[in-house]
Order: sequence, then structure tokens, then C-alpha cells
Amino acid sequence: MSGPVRVVVGVDVGNSTTEACLAEVAGDRVDRLASSLTPTTGVKGTPANTAGAVTAVRRALEAAGRPSAVPDTVLLNEATPVISGLAMETISETIITESTMIGHNPDTPGGEGIGVGTTVALAELGGQDGPVVVVVGAGADFDDVAERVNRAVAAGVEVAAAVLHGDDAVLVVNRLTRRIPVVDEVSAVDRVPLGMLAAVEVAPPGRTIRTLSDSYGLASTFDLDAEQTRQVSPVARALAGNRSAVVVRTPAGDVTDRRIPVGTLTVSGSGRSLDVGVDEGAEAIMEAIRRVAPLTDVHGEPGTHVGGMLAAVRDTMTDVTGQPSSEIRIRDVLAVDTLVPTTVQGGLAGEVARENAVALAAMVRTSRSRMQSVADEIAASLGCEVLIGGVEGEVAVRGALTTPGTAVPIAIVDMGGGSTDAALLDRDGQVSAVHVAGAGELVTKLVDSELGLEDRDAAESVKRHPLAKVESFFHVRHEDGTVQFFDAPLPPHVFARVVTVTPEGLVPVPVRTSLEAVRAVRREAKRRVFVVNTLRALAQVAPQGSLRLLGSVVLLGGSALDFEIPAMVADALAPHGVVCGIGNVHGTEGPRNAVAAGLVDVHAGLAEPVAQGVGR
Amino acid sequence: MTAVEPRSEASVRASKRTEVLEDRPVNLDGFVEEWPEKGLVAMESDFDPQPSVRVEDGRIVELDGRTRDQFDFMDTFIADHAIDVDTTEAAMATESVEIARMLVDPRTPRAEIVALGRGLTPAKILDVVKLMNVVEIMMGIQKTRSRRTPANQAHSTSAKDNPIQVAADAAEGAVRGFAELETTLGVVRYAPLVAIGLQVGGQVGRGGVLTQCALEEATELDLGMRGITAYAETISIYGTESVFVDGDDTPWSKAFLASAYASRGIKMRFTSGTGSEVQMGNAEGRSMLYLEIRCILMAKGAGVQGLQNGSISCIGVPGAVPGGIRAVAAENLVASWMDLECASGNDQSFSHSAMRRTSRLLPQMLPGTDFVCSGYSAVPNKDNMFAGSNLDTEDYDDWNTIQRDMQVDGGLRHVREDVILQVRNKAARALQAVFAELDLPAITDEEVEAATYANSSDDYPDRDVLADLEGARSVMERGITGLDLVKVLERSGFGDVAENYLQVLRQRVSGDLLQTAAIFTGDFVPLAAINDANDYAGPGTGYRLSGERWEELKKLRHVTSAENPEEEVV
Amino acid sequence: MTAAVESVRTLSLREVGPAERGTRPEEVVIALSPAFGDPFTKTIVDVPHAEVIRQLLAGIEEQGGVARTIKVYRTADLAAIAHYGAKLSGSGIAVGILARGTTVLHQRDLARLSNLELFPQAPLLDAEVFRMIGSNAAQYAQGRSPRPVPTRNDQMARPRWQAKAALLHLKEFECIDHARSAVEVEPVISRVD
Repeated sequence: MSGPVRVVVGVDVGNSTTEACLAEVAGDRVDRLASSLTPTTGVKGTPANTAGAVTAVRRALEAAGRPSAVPDTVLLNEATPVISGLAMETISETIITESTMIGHNPDTPGGEGIGVGTTVALAELGGQDGPVVVVVGAGADFDDVAERVNRAVAAGVEVAAAVLHGDDAVLVVNRLTRRIPVVDEVSAVDRVPLGMLAAVEVAPPGRTIRTLSDSYGLASTFDLDAEQTRQVSPVARALAGNRSAVVVRTPAGDVTDRRIPVGTLTVSGSGRSLDVGVDEGAEAIMEAIRRVAPLTDVHGEPGTHVGGMLAAVRDTMTDVTGQPSSEIRIRDVLAVDTLVPTTVQGGLAGEVARENAVALAAMVRTSRSRMQSVADEIAASLGCEVLIGGVEGEVAVRGALTTPGTAVPIAIVDMGGGSTDAALLDRDGQVSAVHVAGAGELVTKLVDSELGLEDRDAAESVKRHPLAKVESFFHVRHEDGTVQFFDAPLPPHVFARVVTVTPEGLVPVPVRTSLEAVRAVRREAKRRVFVVNTLRALAQVAPQGSLRLLGSVVLLGGSALDFEIPAMVADALAPHGVVCGIGNVHGTEGPRNAVAAGLVDVHAGLAEPVAQGVGR
Repeated sequence: MTAVEPRSEASVRASKRTEVLEDRPVNLDGFVEEWPEKGLVAMESDFDPQPSVRVEDGRIVELDGRTRDQFDFMDTFIADHAIDVDTTEAAMATESVEIARMLVDPRTPRAEIVALGRGLTPAKILDVVKLMNVVEIMMGIQKTRSRRTPANQAHSTSAKDNPIQVAADAAEGAVRGFAELETTLGVVRYAPLVAIGLQVGGQVGRGGVLTQCALEEATELDLGMRGITAYAETISIYGTESVFVDGDDTPWSKAFLASAYASRGIKMRFTSGTGSEVQMGNAEGRSMLYLEIRCILMAKGAGVQGLQNGSISCIGVPGAVPGGIRAVAAENLVASWMDLECASGNDQSFSHSAMRRTSRLLPQMLPGTDFVCSGYSAVPNKDNMFAGSNLDTEDYDDWNTIQRDMQVDGGLRHVREDVILQVRNKAARALQAVFAELDLPAITDEEVEAATYANSSDDYPDRDVLADLEGARSVMERGITGLDLVKVLERSGFGDVAENYLQVLRQRVSGDLLQTAAIFTGDFVPLAAINDANDYAGPGTGYRLSGERWEELKKLRHVTSAENPEEEVV
Repeated sequence: MTAAVESVRTLSLREVGPAERGTRPEEVVIALSPAFGDPFTKTIVDVPHAEVIRQLLAGIEEQGGVARTIKVYRTADLAAIAHYGAKLSGSGIAVGILARGTTVLHQRDLARLSNLELFPQAPLLDAEVFRMIGSNAAQYAQGRSPRPVPTRNDQMARPRWQAKAALLHLKEFECIDHARSAVEVEPVISRVD
């Protein structure tokens, strides 16, 4: 049977996008006409959402060819504010004292082997008795340097090695009568102590140094006793993996690797609180959180980055809900270990060490939704009835269940920008939902810092698109090894570069590392955030915390459209016997529009309203 | 074998005065000796052809000493399309000195000298203007300018291609008086967003301002046809066949492009200027001005309503040879005389010397041209993506003072700070609303605040460039037109801006902007040679700075009040 | 004189034979314009041609590359000179350079008017930039991804240098010899102390 035809629009205000589904409803017959997508205005669940919601409705009407129609009913989801924050703390640093060591990797050192001697400035070269290491300052011309060294050698000076300011090592060595190891591009060469015993080592192309990167090698070179050898072992460690290096023996020279205290995190739950030092690393932090589970709140030490980030998250929630800051609880934290390329303190050539860092994502949520004021404003703006229906998670699960091939029990995972959300509909019709901290933004941050990009746009592009290497003007090799040929030459700015393959074409990634290295960083960042969080979130909604009891897992939202995340998540879930796939709402909408379409279905009575369970 | 001599000057002792003079900015400018055989000469060269014309069977068969079988394609185009075959033999028979005097003599009506000009060949026109000194050239410009009311054009660009900056500076430029606003890009793909910023900002500043975005020709035409821009100007033409061919173009291809604009009711003009041919090494031994006169006649033959000339981007070349700036003034005169709208240069960085910059400006500013600057930088020069202009935002107060000193209308005015802040803020907010409605990357309140008070691109938060480029692409893909922007502005509470923009678009249908030298008043009345014809006929006639406009130009940032000398006039 | 006098170097281009296609896969061709080295001796800002060549070659050598130098007589068009050089280059990479200093990095598969890196403002090119250009050329030839040489810009270059550039361009055009094929040359740089 069918009643009068009514125009109904379901609107889903999400963290980053607002979706609308326009349908004609006659009795229980639902005829979906159009859907639309627009950025959410303001924080989800606050009055600022009105503008985006109205835009979404209008877009859907335009898409259906009815720009001036007024809907009979607009259905809104019961959205609650979720606010997330990100912070990163570097927790280790390398310090060189007394300019003991030059451990950078110039592209083109000169000569090969190891040379040991007393450091002497180029201008003072001549008349020395023992072997010398020549130190050449800025502005010297390679022809002049080579000539002076040759002259000194002819006059009987034993020149064992050289250290240069400019990028001249190969040029100088090619002009010498006797080849010596030369390290160049030492920007602070004027700080190399003179009159000290020094060793310069250069390995053949494609190899790394063997002597200066080994404690006993250093001991033999500088004639050290056991105690002295123990002291210099950090120098050896710091030089491992380099193709060239300089070590100067000074009275108190040292290389230290120290932990930076960056404050503590106080995690509370199950009636107790634990303090954990952020510099203890991600594993210690996550272990502390597990021990107090379920987490009720987290505080950071004031004056630290992490403390500041947690306070900012609280303040934002206070601003949008009007709840006092003291009532707002941090409900989840995700900590991830990462490595950040950092310039070494006291380095002479801009040496870079990969220092340890901890990235933290935090999430706060409130039950105090202000959707009623959004509903009132939409009603005033569009001149129609607005109903708030369905609690978060519930409607999405209903929408996901329209994906062909799914069955109850069914879980959904929606990976967004700031948080990863999961919900489960069990056989009893109970829905439970959870939000955990850490999603797309954290991945971007990890990619950015680990590749040393310092360019959020570039990191975002690496996250979103597959990689390729431009091997000639007419072909690229994609990251899966396939080769693609082009009829017209590629643009010159991508020549010989690692690029992302975007819909707008190839975009160079500003790194000098290999495609494989970039890909490894990208995939590892996604794994540590999305895979870890999917498992964490599902474990919280799964019956008895057992993933095996989940049945179907449907991936929804923008990240479900990512080119590799669904497969990574599915692989991680496979061992638990879970069927995992990308949502296809009503068999046509893909992973989008689950809530908006679900709202319309529930309204039309197509779907049984489900009983509301209690989260976690 | 070649050797480099060590410099020997160091040993010669110089006077203190020489040291002072050496340090003057003018000595950072470059000057070169003439080389007429190669065309490195402004306007007086023994290697330019002698004037001649011969008509047979209603067709020009000889032009400036060449017979038709010797014509290059410029000669052919000019002979067939630019010169009036019926009058040419009589016109050419008139003594050059007589024609030059008619140009200067206020009692010879403009119409008469323009009619005579239709029959002249390039060499004859050169012969005439060679007789005129720079003051006489200015006299000629004063009389032959097409539009009675002088105007001015601005560059509004951003070193970061920031559309909010472009919008805010366009709004300020419009309220300061520019009739036309021009932009271009560092990253070309940004164009749609920056062109939208320019249009929206311009219409906030003053309804009826016309905007353009200088790009490669296909995209420029596309933006024009969509109504995102209102006119076009950077359609370059050259005075020798070899330079034309180097750019894969001919006079006919340029004329075809011109008709594409006309077919959509879009205003457009060509661009040319002295020095471009010799700069590219293909002057074919002709003087800079002779070649520019060929360009002017080619533009006329193609039927476009106007021309941007005055050396433009090659100003360093005539600027470095003797008499070069006189030649630049002469080319503006010839464009006006040939009855074309003349956007008269003063638009590219010209000199390190402030005094030279001003003297280069006066031959256009004092007599008044259709656009005194075809690009006054309405942004600080470091944000000027046309590589800097002869005048920029730092010169606003100087310009206003010169207008007041000389009682001359250069198209600008002093505007109170509160008005400027208000239009800048509104422009940024209007663009913010447009971006939000079109799902383009959001403009934050912080950016709006920055735009209100900014000077240069350094004063704005950085944009997410990748997201912006994606947005720019979607504007083109979604087929967004000027009409869509009008709707969006209306919907988001900027009804007055929408109305202004719609009025500009409506002119595409009426075609009023196709008239020579057309601009809009603030009331959307087109001012063009047809309804605001230059009627200069000597002292007491023509455009006179008086009445309300003169009162407006008497205002400066600081003027002591006569009524109460303890205060300044507001 | 007691003050340190910088040694002056001179350049002579010793003709080796006709310019032919190279076979070494890592070689860079340096293609010189008709007036480079002879009759002109320095760029628009007085950088000696000897120093230009020495720095280009040094940049290539430091990266372990090899270079061949050719001189072109039939055109003074930079794109044409560089593209011609690229076609003769074993790696397909060439540096094209005009007497006044304007330089371009080219690759043989590119359209003539395209380029890898262009340095259009000759007044801003000094010895250091020429070294970096040489270094990048060698790295492109070896299939590596060099960071593009930072480009400099000066809006006031127009009033100072535009006319002199035009004059040098005309002079260079005068040196075009349509009858003369490109030759391979050996740059001989000698020091005059």
C-alpha cells in the first residue's frame, strides 16, 4: 500500500563531511532520488553545523533537479561532538662536544681508505714532521688546494688526509700526486680543532666505513686503553652506516646520546592513576593505558607539548559545548613511536641523526549534543519539519547492513581524520559504539616527520596516492613494479623523481630517498594507526572482546576509499576469521551515505528501530 | 685565444663628488649606444623605409618602397586591412610637417586628423611623429585620446597566488579608482581561484570594475567566455614576420582570436610595444618605433577596439637608448591617433631612479590617456607577478599629490583608512562565502582578518596549496561560470556584490563594452568613445578637472585645515 | 704588489673534430653558442668564460661524471643549441650556454622549447651557480634526482640589463655561421699569474 508521496532528506553530520540522502517516501516505499556531500561546518554536534546541513540538503535537491523544492521532512542524526588533538615529542638527542667527530654523508667524498695525522690549516701547510690532516676553509679553489698539497708533499710533508669546506673532494683528489681520503662539505670546518690527532676514513662507493665505526678500530687508530675505548664507543656507534667520517681526538671530546625528559602523562581508570614518562616511549604509555582500562581521563604535565595538547582539546570541547573544563574527560589516547631526522647539536657539517620521538593522539567526547538547536535552525531556514532520529552507530550499522552479502552480527569501522569509530549490532539487536583516538591526521604527521618533509601538503599527497619513479620522459615505474609508458613526454619537473600518482598527474615528492623507503614509511604509518586502531576499537565492541565473534566487518567513510587501507585492515582481521570488506550502501552508494540513507529507511519503517545498547 | 684584462680603473683617484654621483640610483640603470643597422635605435634611423604608396584597381600594390611581390605578411595585412585605399594617395601626398602641425593645432578637430590618419602608411606616420618633440607629442595625445575621461588600470597579483590577497587588493584598488584590474599567476593552475578573487574583490570595491587574468591564450579565453573575467589584454603582436612566426602566430590567427572574444561580447585589446623585436634579435634592421607603428596598424586592421602599448615588458630597451622615452610617448600617440583605445604602459619596472620613473610617467599622465598605466601595481612590487611595475602601492600618496599639484586626473584618489579597511574586509568575507558555497578549501576568519590589515603576501597565513589547486581544477571541471558566482554571492548574503557582478555580465549581451575605450562608471553607465568622445579643441575644452572630482582630488592623507590649523582635513 | 691577486685564467677552445654523437651513458655535453669564448670572453656580468667552463666541468667531475664540449655555429637560439647538444650526448643530457651567460639544462626527449632547468636571468649567474648547474647535469646523466638549482630573481634586472642583453644577443647573432657545422672542442684553461 502507499500513502501520500513525501519528500524526505536524511542528513548525517560527520566529523569532516555532511552527507544527505534525498528520497520520496510513500508509505513504506522509499525512492531514493539523489545524494550529496559537503564539508561539515564547525565541530560535529554544535550549532555551527547548520550551514553545512542546509548546503547538503540544497545540493541534494539540486542534484535531483528540484532546486526550489521544499522537503517535507529533514531527518538529522544525533551527532555528538568528538574533538581530537595531536602532539609529537622528540625524546632523544645526540650531542657532539669539542667538535670530536664529523659524521655526515657528503654525496661525493674523495679518495679511499683511512688517513691519520695532526690537523693543520691549509695556510700553515709545510715543514711538518709527522703525518698531517689538512683542514681547508671556505672560499678555497680546488686547483689552489691541490697545488699547495702537491707542493707540500714534494717538499717532504706526509699529507695523510684532508677535510674541506666546499664540495670539492673529488676535484682535489683527482689533482693530487698521491691520493688521500678527503671528506668535504663540512660547513663549520673552521671549528675543527687544529694541532690534534685526527683520522679521516672514506669507504669505496656503495660501502660503509669499517674502522672509525668500530670501537676497537678507534682504539687501534688512536692507541687507546680499555677505559678510553669504552668512552669513545658512542662515537663509533654514531658513525656506523656512513660512507665517510672524521674523528678528532680532543681532551674531553665526546658524543652523547641522551634522553630528553618531556614530562609525564597521568592516566586514570578503574579507580587508580598511573604516571608514565612520555620519554619511556609509546609501548610504555599504551601499557599504562591497558593497565587502567577502561580509561576515564588523562592529564599531561603542564608546560610540556603533550600537556598543552591535552589542555587544548579540553578547552575546545568547553568552547563548543559550554561544559566546564573540569567535567571533560580524555577518553582515549594512542601513542606511536617514530623517528625524526634531527640536526645533531655540535655537529660541524649539519649532521642529521634519526632521533626517537613519540606521537600522541587524544580524543574527547561528550554526550551533550546540541543537535536540537541545529534542528531548529534548519527548520527555520528551509521551512520544513526537522526530526532528530537515531543514535550514532545505530543508523550507520543499519545503513551498512544494506551492503549486499552482510548479515548480523555486523560491525562497522569508520576511519576519519581525528578518530576511528566502530560499532557493533549483535544478534540481540543491541548496538554498541566506540571512538578511539588517532586516524588520518596522525598518519599525515608521521609521514611528514619520518620523511623529514616539513610540508604537510606533500605528506598528505604521499598518504593519499600511490608512488611511482619517473625513469624517463616516456615511462614511469609504479610502486608495484609495473611500467607505464606515455606517448607525450612527461613534464620536466618530475624527471628522475619519486612522485605520487594523483588524479591531477604526477607530483614530485621532495625527498632524495628511494621510492621503496617512502613506501615503507607510508605503509608503516598506516599500519600503526589504522590497523592498530581498527583492532583496538573492534576489541572494545566485540562480545567478550573477542574479534572471532564479530562476523562481518564493514568499512565506511572516506578512508574506506583509500587505495590500500581496506586491504591492510582486511589482512589484519583475516586471522580472526572475520569477513571484512568495503561498505556498499544499498548496493550502489559505496562506503558513503550509510547514515543518511539509514535515517530515511528507519523513518519509512523499512528498518526496525534497534534497541540502544551501552557503548563499550 | 682570449684573455681577460685585469681592471685598471681602481688606481685612478676619483673626486668625492664623483663618488656621490656613482652611488646615485640612476647609475644602476643600463644604457647602451645605438646600433641602427640592427634596429637598436629608438625612432631615427637611416635604415627605416621611405614612405610611399601606390594603388591599382582598388588595391595597394606598393607600400613604403616595397611592391606587393616583396611584401611580408605584415605588409600584406596592413595594405589589405588597415589602410583606407580610397584616401591613401591623397593622405600620403600631404606634407608630413603639415600633418604633424594638425596633430598639435587645437583648431584641427580630432575627427579630421583621425580621418587623415586612415590613409597613412607606417613609414609616413613615423615621418610625421619624428617631427614632433615630446611636448608636441603630449599635445597630440591630449587631443587624439579616444575617451574624454582618462582612467587607470591596476595589477592585482600575489607572490603566493593567494586568492584572498588578490581579492582584498582588488577591492582596495577599485575603491581607489582603478577602472580595470588585471591579474596573473606564479602557478598557472591557481588561475580560476585567483580570477574569482579578483572579480569578487573588484565588485566589492566598486561596482562595474572590469577584470582580466593574463594567461596563455586558450585558458584566458575560457575564463572570459565563462564570465569569470570581463576582458582580455595579453594578446601579443609583433612588428616583424620573423618574430611573429617564432611564436607560431600570424596577424590572421590573432585576428581570429580577437573575433572569438567579440563573438561573446567580451572586451579585448592587443598588446605590443617598442623594443620587443630587437630584444628577440629580429628587428630586420628597422627602428623600434617603425616596427611598433606596424603593430598599431595591424591591430587596427584586425578590428580590435584597442591596444596596450608603450614598450610594456621591453621598456629596458628603449629606456637605454637616446630618445627612447620620447619614442614610447610617440607610440602611445600613434595608437590614439589611429582611433584605438590606448592603455599606455607605465606598467613594468623601469628605473632604479625615482626621478626617472616619474619623468617616464609624465608624457602619459599629463595629457591623460585611456589608461595612464596599463598596470599600476596595486600590490607591493615584490608581489607583482608581472615582474614589477613602474609604480606600486608605495607610490599611492605621491601619485595623489602629483594629481593635486598639477591639477591632472590620473584616475586615482585618496581614500580614508576606514573605507579601505571596510572594503578589504568585505572582499575577503565575500570570497570566504563563495569558497564555502562552492566547497572550495575554506577561508578562515584568521585569513579574513589578515586580508583586512595586510600589506603584502607575507602578512597572510599560508594556504594549503595542494587543496587549493584541487579546488581550482574542480572549478574548471564543474563548468562554474560567472552566473554561478552571482547566484552564490546572492545566496550567501552579498546581494549587492552579486548585483554588481550581474551588471557586468549583462554587458556581454548588450555589447556596450565592445565600443572603443569602454569602461563603467560606478552607476554602470558605459563610458566609451561613442558616448564620452574626446572633444578637446584647445584651452577651455575637453576633459577638465573641476567640480566634485577636483574636490575629491584635493584630499590627501595630511592636509592642514584652513578653518582650524590645529587639525587636518579629513 | 703585496695583496693577494686572484689568478686570471684564459680559455681557448681547441677544435678536436666534427661534433658527433657520444656513446658513454653518463656523459654530459656542454654546448656553446657561436660567440662563446671567441670573440666574447665574459658573461653579461663579467664572469670570465674560462671560469664558466671551469666551474661547469668541476661540477660534473665532482659528481664522477664525464663531459664533452661542443661549439655550435649555425644558431644562437639557446633552446636549439642545448637540444642539439642533448641529441649528441651519450646520456641525453646537455648544458646549453650563450656567451652572455644564459644557461639551460636540456634532455634529448624533451620538446625543443621545454627544458629540465632554465636559468634565463644571465645577470644573476655567478661561478657558484655554474658549479651547481654542472653538478646537476652530471646527476641527471647518472639517473639521480638532484635538487633543482635554486633560481634567483631580480625585478630590477630589467632596467639594468635588458638593453645590454639585447645588444649581446645581436652581437651573438652576428657570429652565426650557417656554413659551419658544430665542432667538438677541448677547452684549454690556462692560468696567467
